[in-house]
Amino acid sequence: MEPNQVRSLTLRYLEAYDCHMIEKHPDYIETRLSIEVDKDIIQRPFYWMYVEKMGLEPQPATLLFTFEPGKAPSGVREDLLTSGAPRFQQMLRSARNHGRFVRLYEDKRPRLLKEGSLPYEPWLVLHYQVSFLCDRKKDHLISLGIDLRTGAISEGFDQQLQGRDWTHKLPDRRHTLPSILSIPEAVGELEYWLQGWIENQDLTWADQAMDQLNQELAQLHAFYPEEWRMSDELHEEKKQRLRESIWQYHPRVEVETVSAGLFYLTPTHP
Amino acid sequence: MESLPIRVDRTWLNDFLKNMEQESGWSTWERYRLALEAAELQCIPDFDTLRCLEYVTGFEPLPHQIETAQKVLGQMKGRAILADEVGLGKTIEAGLILKEYMVRGLVKNALILVPSSLVLQWTRELNQKFQIPATPQKKEWMWDQYDILVASIDTAKRDPHRSKVLNRHYDLLIVDEAHKLKNRRTKNWQFINEMKKKYTLLLTATPIQNDLHELYNLVTLLKPGQLGQQTSFNTTYVAGKRKPKNEDQLREEVHRVMIRNKRSDGHISFTKRHVHTVRVTLSPEERALYEGITQFIREQYQSNRGQLKSLLSLITLQREVCSSRDAAFHTLFKLFKRESDGLESLSPEVLHLAGLLRAVQTQSKVNEALRLVKEINDKVIIFTEYRATQDLLIRALNEHNIYAVPYRGGFARNKKDWMREIFQTRAQVMVATEAGGEGINLQFCHHIINYDLPWNPMRVEQRIGRIHRLGQSEDVTIFNFATENTIEEHIVWLLHEKIDMFRTVIGEVDTILEKMGLKEDVEQNLMRILIESKDDQEIQVQLDKLGDQFASAEEQVRTEIEKREVLMDGTQSS
Repeated sequence: MEPNQVRSLTLRYLEAYDCHMIEKHPDYIETRLSIEVDKDIIQRPFYWMYVEKMGLEPQPATLLFTFEPGKAPSGVREDLLTSGAPRFQQMLRSARNHGRFVRLYEDKRPRLLKEGSLPYEPWLVLHYQVSFLCDRKKDHLISLGIDLRTGAISEGFDQQLQGRDWTHKLPDRRHTLPSILSIPEAVGELEYWLQGWIENQDLTWADQAMDQLNQELAQLHAFYPEEWRMSDELHEEKKQRLRESIWQYHPRVEVETVSAGLFYLTPTHP
Repeated sequence: MESLPIRVDRTWLNDFLKNMEQESGWSTWERYRLALEAAELQCIPDFDTLRCLEYVTGFEPLPHQIETAQKVLGQMKGRAILADEVGLGKTIEAGLILKEYMVRGLVKNALILVPSSLVLQWTRELNQKFQIPATPQKKEWMWDQYDILVASIDTAKRDPHRSKVLNRHYDLLIVDEAHKLKNRRTKNWQFINEMKKKYTLLLTATPIQNDLHELYNLVTLLKPGQLGQQTSFNTTYVAGKRKPKNEDQLREEVHRVMIRNKRSDGHISFTKRHVHTVRVTLSPEERALYEGITQFIREQYQSNRGQLKSLLSLITLQREVCSSRDAAFHTLFKLFKRESDGLESLSPEVLHLAGLLRAVQTQSKVNEALRLVKEINDKVIIFTEYRATQDLLIRALNEHNIYAVPYRGGFARNKKDWMREIFQTRAQVMVATEAGGEGINLQFCHHIINYDLPWNPMRVEQRIGRIHRLGQSEDVTIFNFATENTIEEHIVWLLHEKIDMFRTVIGEVDTILEKMGLKEDVEQNLMRILIESKDDQEIQVQLDKLGDQFASAEEQVRTEIEKREVLMDGTQSS
């Protein structure tokens, strides 16, 4: 990740989470953190416990972030943010934590509508991180939308959300069309769809991992003596080794939900 | 693949439904976008890029270290013996591997078992170089409370710790100095064998010390059955006590689980060392002081025979006077005090020495150091054994407008780092009383002055190792100061000319000393020679003998190493 990418993401994060900007210099950013951000990216739980117990005026930290070493004004302690810096990783975690759930209405002034009300179509949009695991791991992010009125599923739905304006309150003269699917039902549909998607991926890696696992197990079976000749300890040891091999190699898929959003869209053909 | 197990996380759903019910807890569009972008950044779309490299701080991993990490993560699937020769960075390789697994979430808890003397160093390196939150194990309760622990194997294998360790499942186990696991009948081996672990790294520079069974035991600990059952291994590969057969096949099998980088591999380059002895002639006053002290020691030796301990402190005085008047002053002052604390009046001998000491006005060695530092006209590290000499040198250098910083073992970590920083960026000279742990590296400097020498060759090697190590891009020049016609000259002669200490490859010195039965007490041995010899000639003869012993031990060590090398990869060692 380039320093300017780290910078722009940092800036957006700080602003989105209400930090007070003191200086936005090309080489550095100086800011007084909001309480929320201070708690998330600076590890000082005891301070916060103390402040809250004693009812003191909280003093969130002021930090000066740089994105390349040695760019701070002289005499100031810099907080160097690179993509691998623990503080930056904490920001990412914090961002993921707080930005998981949204409910938004498309903010589009209907033209020439003097009376009556314009409908919204309800969509549930999920972002999944699909992880393929054996002794190694790779991830894939997938964005799925489901029309809560028809059950129609659309992949890469995130694209559809771009370039629109949003508001978190239902605007005047608008109403939402009733959903046919409940949220749990819709989630069930998406999971079912996802399972099919996973099964259609290139799964050579899983076959290879399975072969490897079988080889490892065979090697263990060949190494330890026949069952009746083994002491209890040796028997236990062999069982442990077999378990470890399975633990290490068995191919599997884990799906984590990164975000979930309820989006109300203006129908294209009202 | 018939049925690939899929686990879908649904823990979020209740929270989401609660938000809907209560019409609250919703995030904004911008925060939602940020969460997605953060997830994209943390998503790793392939099995084999090394993402850990983004997290590495303050150094550049070398190509062979990166390759090793890739091979262990890829082909070897996280169970490997890292058997690089000493000084090629096994710790770095292990750190890269651990970090990669952590970044990918494949390792959440890890145990690093090392000799107790290395616990803090490992902890520091993992934290500083890789941003891995490793903690040194100190208390019993810590076994369950921390995810990344660095512990001493001797502690871990004993109760009550043992049962705690054996109860846990470790995603990754790293064992440093793993040649201590060469014998299947030992507690060490059985303990590691009993542990529950997913990935395992065994680190050792000497996977074989004596015979093939050691290698068999190591590999079997790592992957039981990799080299077959003991009996079949014996029939296939062992011809005699130290003689293997089917070596090519054995090597192939071993190299499936072991990586060994060597200095002699083309891509790892070490620069040269140039060694010079700088002879310093004492001024008449210094000479008188040195002779006075030597005389004093002889007399003391004759008058209270057998009290070796107090004699040793007298030899120290003799060494100190070779370093500087100031260094000797402190010891003399203490002698002085001890006498005056008692009821006796001061002995005329001590008073005489004090007088001689006062007479010394200029110090020849200091002048020589100033001259040399100016001549080098580049960064220099000056090592001395004595605090007083260190202060003296810093003062003298500063008086001549040469910026010099001190460095010593007693400094807090922060101060050490800070001094190193100043030395790198602004000062020309660092005056150090100790070589420091592995933590400090000074590769940007190419000149060492040994203002005085430790008598223990291991410590000499550590000094040089601060600078002449992997990553040093230029030849390194070493100057050893030797005051003429003193014990110092004898020692420099022994270390430099007789045993060619300054060329011996890092990591062999301790093996050689061990072979000589001298590992702990080289210094004592040298002192004894100096005290017990009648005259200079006898000292020379004795040191010569010692040197010969060293040479023959070195010869033996080298032969053994060669044999092992041939066994492991069919080539000669570097």
